[in-house]
Amino acid sequence: MSKLANTCAIVGITRAIGLKGDKEKKTPLQLVVEACAQLMRETGIDRTRIGALFTGRMPRSYMTLQYSQSLVNELKIAPMFSTEVTSHGGGALGTLELSVLALEAGLIDYALCVTGEASPIWIDMIGGSANWEADLQFEAPYGPTTPSLYAQSACRYMHEYGITPEQMARVAVENRKWALHHPYAAMRHKGPITVEDVLKSPMIASPLRLLDCAPWFPGGIASAALITRADIARNTCAEPAYIAGFGQWNTHEWVGERMGTRGVEPFSRGPSMVHTGAGVAAKQAYAMAGITSKDINIAETSVPFTYANLLMLEELGFCAEGEGGRFVEAGGIDFDGGLPFNTTGGYLSFGQSGQGLYLLKEIVDQMWGHAEGYPVPGVKAGLVHGHGGPLACHSVMIVSKEPTC
Amino acid sequence: MSETSKVAVPDWSGGKKVMAGDLFLGLYQPSPETTGFWEGVARQELLFKWCDACARAYHPRRMICPQCSSTALSWKPASGKGKVYSFSEVHRAPTAEFAKGAPYTVGLVETPDDVHFFCRIFAENGASIAVDAPADLEFRTLENGYRLPVFVVRGAAAK
Repeated sequence: MSKLANTCAIVGITRAIGLKGDKEKKTPLQLVVEACAQLMRETGIDRTRIGALFTGRMPRSYMTLQYSQSLVNELKIAPMFSTEVTSHGGGALGTLELSVLALEAGLIDYALCVTGEASPIWIDMIGGSANWEADLQFEAPYGPTTPSLYAQSACRYMHEYGITPEQMARVAVENRKWALHHPYAAMRHKGPITVEDVLKSPMIASPLRLLDCAPWFPGGIASAALITRADIARNTCAEPAYIAGFGQWNTHEWVGERMGTRGVEPFSRGPSMVHTGAGVAAKQAYAMAGITSKDINIAETSVPFTYANLLMLEELGFCAEGEGGRFVEAGGIDFDGGLPFNTTGGYLSFGQSGQGLYLLKEIVDQMWGHAEGYPVPGVKAGLVHGHGGPLACHSVMIVSKEPTC
Repeated sequence: MSETSKVAVPDWSGGKKVMAGDLFLGLYQPSPETTGFWEGVARQELLFKWCDACARAYHPRRMICPQCSSTALSWKPASGKGKVYSFSEVHRAPTAEFAKGAPYTVGLVETPDDVHFFCRIFAENGASIAVDAPADLEFRTLENGYRLPVFVVRGAAAK
């Protein structure tokens, strides 16, 4: 248990959504400003009291140097700290982690954390993203796609642990059930799917079929969170979400480089395509919070392929190593009675829109009974996993309705 | 890649600068720390960076030996042998150009130099690409027009 556990809380979290089909298309900056404005109105904490601004990576559809300064400028805030936190998608939760350090040290009283992306509105995501996850010099010349890069790890996962396509498909099937209840989920109008539907869907990059892959969210999402110390939160906020624990682990860049990374965790047993920093980050988060996976009532992950969800269920401590397939097969994440997992529909059915804080917002909303989608009763503690760089950068955060220790 | 260079390098961007918004992603073009590799490719040699002190090979573009922190690394030819570590058959190709060759297989080949080399993997003589299948180095011209180091899994006829 770390002295950082429960020292800070989220006292407001908002989001703004723009859709591809909107008459007036919005940029990520517009969406981010909208979310921040709503956050300041809701919390009553105005621009003069923001001590730090931490943003996730600059949006692909709003590429500008000094991105965080664009937002400082737009909001006319004057923070002590302003920077992007960009270990791919791991940076989204990293914004809160740095906030806790600055808050707990007493340097500031309020930190504003924002992420935003609207690429599907402005960019050809299929054509424009194919090589984005590849090392452009040493991998892209061979014609890989993002699914085929993730598939390298899927191939090893199946080979080393006997994971089956049917077990992978179960993730898509269960995620879809949540999406059917969410007003913004990309696949909400597509109806339920079966394991057979997944296995019959077109092959994209073996072993991954169409329904093993996340669709793009048909628009953009910006999320903004206001963080303060627990003592302030307790006296000013009716619905705080305590930051009970967090962890972060970054190991490499590009799929090919993963196997050249040795002598650091999680590769102490040698280079591997199936051991990831998520496991290290999760252990850090649980240790800080002083709880175990048994205390978690809801979990969200940002991995965009079926097999990777099975792998993350292992890495995040919900089942043993190599047991992800059997865990899900036995109903571990069933919509009816399993661990509430990817409760917006997840990347597979809600859709992917950059890596944002909206997964964290889902947990806070569920905790306080404001979920937009299917409600999960009795959420006391939730876990969110952000990641990027084909399983290279990982953040894990545990939030709790009451301090965990 | 600078126009004055004499090195034949794969300009996989199709002659266009690689842009991300207004940013030129120049670092993704061959640069002083990687031209040695591409000079080898032009001679149809696959080169890895070696740390002589540790007798270890690295790929790609290592500038420091993570084991001993030496920066005295040099390019040396790879053994040319390997076995398939992981693979994926690409059915939906990233570009119209690559689609001409689809489906094709990309994957990691584990070499006796203890490198995991990401490349295109071919199968010949009825062989199938599978984890641990032995594979040999070849240079082949891909759909994008570049002649690149690839690995080939051979069937019964080659045994």
